[in-house]
Amino acid sequence: MTGYVMQRLVLMLVTLLAIITLTFFLMHAVPGGPFVSDKMMAPEIQAAINAKYHLDDPVWLQYLNYLKGIASFDLGPSFKYAGMSVNEIIAEGLPTTLKVGVLALICVVSLGVPLGIVAALNRNRWPDTLVMVVATIGVAVPSYVIATVALYLFALRLGWVPTFGLDDWRGYFLPVFALSGFWISFIARLARSSLLETLQQDYMITAKAKGLKPGQILFKHGLRNSLIPVVTVLGPVVANLITGSFVIEQIFALPGIGRHFVLSITNRDYTAIMGITIFYAAVLMVMIFIVDMLYLVLDPRIKYREAR
Amino acid sequence: MTAPLLSVSDLRTSFFTSRGEVQAVRGVSFELRPGEILGIVGESGSGKSITCMSLLGLLKSNGRVIGGSALFEGQDLLTLDDRDLRRLRGDEIGMIFQDPMTSLNPTLTVGEQVIETILRHRRISRAAARQRAIELFELVRIPSAAKRLRSYPHEFSGGMRQRVMIAIALSCDPKLLIADEPTTALDVTIQRQVLALLKELQSRLGMAVILITHDLGVIAETADRVLVMYGGMVMEEAPVRRIFARPSHPYTRGLLASIPDLRDGAHQRLTPIPGSPPDMRHPPAGCPFAPRCTHAMAQCANVLPPVYDVEPGHGSRCWLHHPEAPRVEGVNDRELA
Repeated sequence: MTGYVMQRLVLMLVTLLAIITLTFFLMHAVPGGPFVSDKMMAPEIQAAINAKYHLDDPVWLQYLNYLKGIASFDLGPSFKYAGMSVNEIIAEGLPTTLKVGVLALICVVSLGVPLGIVAALNRNRWPDTLVMVVATIGVAVPSYVIATVALYLFALRLGWVPTFGLDDWRGYFLPVFALSGFWISFIARLARSSLLETLQQDYMITAKAKGLKPGQILFKHGLRNSLIPVVTVLGPVVANLITGSFVIEQIFALPGIGRHFVLSITNRDYTAIMGITIFYAAVLMVMIFIVDMLYLVLDPRIKYREAR
Repeated sequence: MTAPLLSVSDLRTSFFTSRGEVQAVRGVSFELRPGEILGIVGESGSGKSITCMSLLGLLKSNGRVIGGSALFEGQDLLTLDDRDLRRLRGDEIGMIFQDPMTSLNPTLTVGEQVIETILRHRRISRAAARQRAIELFELVRIPSAAKRLRSYPHEFSGGMRQRVMIAIALSCDPKLLIADEPTTALDVTIQRQVLALLKELQSRLGMAVILITHDLGVIAETADRVLVMYGGMVMEEAPVRRIFARPSHPYTRGLLASIPDLRDGAHQRLTPIPGSPPDMRHPPAGCPFAPRCTHAMAQCANVLPPVYDVEPGHGSRCWLHHPEAPRVEGVNDRELA
């Protein structure tokens, strides 16, 4: 088991290196650069900037230098925000993104799973229909539509919550709602179908034939088995939520890292693109690793052995 | 004669599907005495499993008992409320199922699955329940019982899993054990072991057993009395020796004829019963077996025959037992004599 974990960690580093390499060369293959902008620059200034950021070095040398920085957890200076390093950009935006993301995650788990259970247990009756209609809308309607409509309704019309920012605790409602809406719906649908499948299993009839009470049957025998697919999805969901959303952060004017993700690309801010990509990839891999470890707890049939 | 432990009369169960009502059980009656092994035999869809699932309230959500009664020690299982029925299940009435591969929860240890049953029905400590589980594992001959409690179902073979199922079913000393095709999913050699175990436990513990199977060989080895079901009805009921020695219903005779006899030599063809079972959405008005019966008469298709007593304790639902019916060799040729 320890061997397996070690193997996984090494594999994660290799994956990360592959991602870094791929992103790095793809990025440099795209025409343009951070300082090729609309306003004309004097050639001397251009040359000076290129020299300062080593942009006139051969690409392979830039790559090696970048890797050297990564090895010491230095993601390099931002090309667009003078005087700021990518580490600082992430450190600055992460707390906001984390707060909203974790709240959204709590909503996803504490609403999505129970709603799915209620729907499954009331299959084809009104609670099921209601949950499924709402969840289908939640999955189908993009988050920016939800965000805009909610903003108009609750902030502008009703004035219950502020229109932007997180200074007021009420400011969290709409971003968290907009961010988690899709995933609550998604998880509710998944939990429902998974539980319905579990309820069909022979061992559920056995549990009933043993005279167990409905609560015991559902929670002890039904839920654990039906949560396995939900946990599988939750890994990437967590990664998605805590790395922020460009759209949501833009609409609610939140100073998170999600918007840097997109802005850095249009800015050709090489180091920021790299840094945020690496950050996202690392979070995703760690979450998938955690999910794989959770399987061990949930399903005793799963055993990991190191490859030889 | 002792009072029956279970007395089922005119049990009717239907499933309500989008394509109409499926009449799975159409008036089944039988009695079971304490300590008796009753075999219920019939092909798939004959209603044998549904009969037992109806008794325990284990029907799928679209299934409903629409008539009849089932007196178990004086109380009607079919009208009992959920709470009381839950108390009976797993306690007074144990049940084991066809496929031991899927009947155990894969995420709980087998020990836990036994212990939770005991704790549900007995007011004893967890440690005492664990001790009882070890005894049960020893009873069903699972080697190194105490250690195996901590194993998960996937760590057991099919035969061992069925032993676990038996241990669960027996955990509260039931008066009645319902075994629904308990050996069908097992290898032939394992089948014999499990059957022998069931029979031995039955005589040791003195419980009554309903053994559902489509395998007449299993019936011959195990049962005291046999119900032959077809089209949701009991076609013939007799002590096990009578069924094999003097089957009186053409369907039973067909079933027996379709068993390959090794003495006939390797090249003997099997004798199938031609045709297929009735569509239970539109069950025939008369005898359900009439369309496939070689002796069918004009009225067989239109009027359901009553159960004739061929002999005390041996009933057969066939018009051939009517006094004016034509004689058919082996079926009714000796009745008038």
